[in-house]
Amino acid sequence: MRKRHGKDEGVSDETLLSGIAVGDEQAVLTFVRRYQRRLFGLAFGIVGDVGTAEDVAQEAFIRIVRHASVFDARRGSVTTWTLTITRNLAIDAVRIRRSIPVAPDDRVFLELVSVERQPEDTALAADAMTRVRIALSNLPMEQRRAVVLAAMYGRTAVEVAAVESIPLGTAKSRIRLGMAKLRETLVISESP
Amino acid sequence: MSQYTRDPDKCQMVQDDLAELALGILAGRERAEVLDHLESCAHCGAELESLSTAADTLLMLTPEIEPPLGFESRLSEKLREAAQRDRSRRFRRVSAFAIAAVLVAVLGFGVGVFVSNNGTGSPNRSVAAAPALAQLTSNGRVMGQVVISTDQPTWMFVTVDSAKLSGDVSCEVTLNNGQTLTVGWFNLSGDYSAWAARLTVSAAQVRSARIVAADGAVIASARLSV
Repeated sequence: MRKRHGKDEGVSDETLLSGIAVGDEQAVLTFVRRYQRRLFGLAFGIVGDVGTAEDVAQEAFIRIVRHASVFDARRGSVTTWTLTITRNLAIDAVRIRRSIPVAPDDRVFLELVSVERQPEDTALAADAMTRVRIALSNLPMEQRRAVVLAAMYGRTAVEVAAVESIPLGTAKSRIRLGMAKLRETLVISESP
Repeated sequence: MSQYTRDPDKCQMVQDDLAELALGILAGRERAEVLDHLESCAHCGAELESLSTAADTLLMLTPEIEPPLGFESRLSEKLREAAQRDRSRRFRRVSAFAIAAVLVAVLGFGVGVFVSNNGTGSPNRSVAAAPALAQLTSNGRVMGQVVISTDQPTWMFVTVDSAKLSGDVSCEVTLNNGQTLTVGWFNLSGDYSAWAARLTVSAAQVRSARIVAADGAVIASARLSV
């Protein structure tokens, strides 16, 4: 568990998914070892407890294995696909447990909204995570909070309005403007 | 209605909701209206795609956390159980297909009566209960068919004819009043899948149907007309 599998390095995510799709158990194992920390981290950030986060991350892996053959690389990376599946499951788990979503006050949320551009970050950064960090840090704090509440925690505009104590129209504007700016920054940074 | 006619006014109205749809937080009538518009507007579809990419990419910022000890072995056990469930589900699907095939054959007879009566000049359209049927398409490509019976109780039959699709998907219908219902989940595998379920509404109330993947992506859609 704590030891990385030797065949992990150098095998692309897409190749692993192809192997998973045809029932290759070694590909499943390698994929799980590669992604378990990310999926568990995301699930824990949203649900806030270890037991539920484990259930969510495991269910996400089961769905990834089951749907590996329909993954379409044209619609995004394997990483965003797996994280989106995990995020949706985690939000469902939260909604089942709590009929009224509350404001996340955990460490993960605070870390996300306080993300700052690092001195070494450039708009032409090669890795996707740096580009996203730059894009998010470019947003005003109120838009950043609204976008993170919606994108990561699945809060609706009505819920964002309640959490932030602002009118619904303001919540919708913050989400819309934040997403527009985020997309603009990401598109610009991905342009040659 | 022309399938690819752009309506700038409608596009402008939908623009305000696209970000929320991309984030997966738009619900109810607003969601149904936007989805309905997207079926015929490639421009807004492209907008949604780029916003969805931005929304999904945000998730990459979440920190990695080591799962509890034993995570991997417990997952292995669950994967084994899931594989067994999938095998038994495939067996049940074959049974469901046999039932659906018989019912579609009966409805097909109804269509035959309807067409035949018109062919002899009879103006009485109520002679036969013709089912509502439409092709499931994706980017103009035919992926299968949706048939909804006009009898009571109302049955919906879905066929998907593609070797490239597999896995669990859900079927949603949008009603004339904008409400969206999830009819159920079914499993796609092999070259051809068929599935049947009861609807709680009549065929006349159904405006469109969609097959949706586990990650929320619309695989194919159909516009119904009775």
